[in-house]
Amino acid sequence: MSEMSSSELDPEPPIRLHLPPLSPSLFDAEPSDLQQPNGSAARHSSDPSSSTSSGYAGERGSSTATTVSQVEEVLHNEIQEITIHDPQPLSHSSWLPGKRHGDEDDASISWRRRKKHFFVLSHSGKPIYSRYGDEHKLAGFSATLQAIISFVENGADHVKLVRAGKHQVVFLVKGPIYLVCICCTEEPYESLRGQLELIHGQIIVILTKSVNRCFEKNPKFDMTPLLGGTDIVFSSLIHSFSWNPATFLHAYTCLPLAYATRQAAGAILQDVADSGVLFAILMCRHKVISLVGAQKASLHPDDMLLLANFVMSSESFRTSEAFSPVCLPRYNALAFLYAYIHFFDDDTYLMLLTTSSDAFYHLKDCRISIETVLLKSNVLSEAQRSLVDGGMRVEDLPPLPYSGSSHLGQHRLTSDSPERLRESDCGIGGAAGLWHFIYRSIYLDQYISSEFSSPINTPKQQKRLYRAYQKLFASMHDKGLGPHKTQFRRDENYVLLCWVTQDFELYAAFDPLADKALAIKTCNRVCQWVKDVENEIFLLGASPFSW
Amino acid sequence: MPSRRRTLLKVIILGDSGVGKTSLMNQYVNKKFSNQYKATIGADFLTKEVQFEDRLFTLQIWDTAGQERFQSLGVAFYRGADCCVLVYDVNSMKSFDNLNNWREEFLIQASPSDPENFPFVVIGNKIDIDGGNSRVVSEKKARAWCASKGNIPYFETSAKEGINVEEAFQCIAKNALKSGEEEELYLPDTIDVGNSSQPRATGCEC
Repeated sequence: MSEMSSSELDPEPPIRLHLPPLSPSLFDAEPSDLQQPNGSAARHSSDPSSSTSSGYAGERGSSTATTVSQVEEVLHNEIQEITIHDPQPLSHSSWLPGKRHGDEDDASISWRRRKKHFFVLSHSGKPIYSRYGDEHKLAGFSATLQAIISFVENGADHVKLVRAGKHQVVFLVKGPIYLVCICCTEEPYESLRGQLELIHGQIIVILTKSVNRCFEKNPKFDMTPLLGGTDIVFSSLIHSFSWNPATFLHAYTCLPLAYATRQAAGAILQDVADSGVLFAILMCRHKVISLVGAQKASLHPDDMLLLANFVMSSESFRTSEAFSPVCLPRYNALAFLYAYIHFFDDDTYLMLLTTSSDAFYHLKDCRISIETVLLKSNVLSEAQRSLVDGGMRVEDLPPLPYSGSSHLGQHRLTSDSPERLRESDCGIGGAAGLWHFIYRSIYLDQYISSEFSSPINTPKQQKRLYRAYQKLFASMHDKGLGPHKTQFRRDENYVLLCWVTQDFELYAAFDPLADKALAIKTCNRVCQWVKDVENEIFLLGASPFSW
Repeated sequence: MPSRRRTLLKVIILGDSGVGKTSLMNQYVNKKFSNQYKATIGADFLTKEVQFEDRLFTLQIWDTAGQERFQSLGVAFYRGADCCVLVYDVNSMKSFDNLNNWREEFLIQASPSDPENFPFVVIGNKIDIDGGNSRVVSEKKARAWCASKGNIPYFETSAKEGINVEEAFQCIAKNALKSGEEEELYLPDTIDVGNSSQPRATGCEC
């Protein structure tokens, strides 16, 4: 069990405080109850096994052998610490969809050096999915994982986490489906378990939970044929764990649009919802333009994430209009809905969800009338423009004392403004060394993330920042120690400031040399700014979540 | 997830300790034999790709430890097996007598849907020892027992000499495949919005 390294803890750890405005003096109290949680849920810490190797492990040929009792050794010795970087680092631009390194198995050195593995297997130990390598070649490894899980369950207990050096092995049992993550990314246990939950949710989106019945009737059941061709959906979801904050915030984000534009889209969606469509969702990439739900129907942000991932990662949806069974796990995990999916252009797509399996032609008609309105009111071109223009930029943060209505991008400080001059020595980025922020509105279930700008401009740096936010999120929401109100931490990479109120959560990253008082002041400005432009960055009013 | 349909078969090897389960598996998978006895701890897992009637499939072989102290692994290990191989040593009457216990233990723990027709294969190993002179279980006796348990296929092997091992596993694969061929009916429901309200999962879990 490793504590978070002390260098990562700010000498002035977070404290509790009560509601706005955020003031520097509130950070000065000395907290006593805040230690960074580690994997407190761990049942098992992995002592190096003293058991002798057995069988013919030394003689393995083309096949592979693994021994249950050697598992700890395997974790210690075989999955070695990563020293070699992935030759294809993940990034938005270079990320290749679909299974990579499918020729690897657990005997490959390259496979053992991957930083983050995900496995799905059945309760009989049959492999279902592996992020890297060939599932069938990994059958022995899969059996080992099942043996570990079952061995612990035999003792009427559950294994949640095994730590082995820098590696964490996180287990999640979902009925007959077992999910395992093995990684050395130092992400919190809660985050990794959340990622396994999402992978399971993605399986449910594709197959519904009634797949469990097949296992009940026949433990030998092999579900891989049912998931045929969906590799790309899972690899895309796993990739999003490192760039999409929705995966840990449990909130969705909107495409910034003029209020009237979003209203026009919402109005036409409402029309079709009234004609028997359960949910009508208009999205641009992973951002919502507008969405409407039939009365009493509510859509969970996680369902939206998984649905959007399913639609965006499956190439076939782009080529023609499609009608596909989908399941929304948070809405009803046991049954299918039917989704009519149509891409208006490369980025913007419409999803109409219904309970009726023969609604295709009706939904097609709905789409045609929606498309007409969207074209007439320039929604599609506005969406494209918003994609190009981007959303909130830290450089545009307006000074605090100002009044009047505000629009995105209209408060760009001129270079000769005294404020700008004063703050220019705080490094690149926005005021007071502000580099980036995420604001999550609690009652809207929505978040807004600022655009990345210098110096956070490579995918690698962005991933690192998201991981830092994720850690911050987990520590703020730790059930044992939290919930907390504020947190201020400084390390060699950033100053991170988190502020949680009943209405919102703010996560902000500053230059590591940023002044604390100024950073706190800047957070207040960010909150005010978000409030000023909320009708452009959020979907207001018609939120189906509040019904 | 492969787009081309492949089949994975889970094969469990059971039998008293020292009858040669691991040796059989290694002879089959790696074509190797070691005279040195090393007790299996818990279980070993090996995989082998097999071609059968133009179809490729993967055998996931669970080589279990024979010692009684590992019996607690039972349910977990046996669940979802496609075939069970019972191994005894033709030079040890006790190991043969115990076949019945192993078989019953398996059926209780794995509780297959059709226990009468669950595919077992019985292997009498170590026929090479002493040129067969120390043999105590006759082939006739073994075959009679197999016949009484629903005509279990029977093989006599030498893991050391590699005699009959390939044939035995071919049969294991064939029988495992046969038992796996009953297709599952996967028929999910569609939501009926009319008569059930969908309670919203309250908030996020954070």
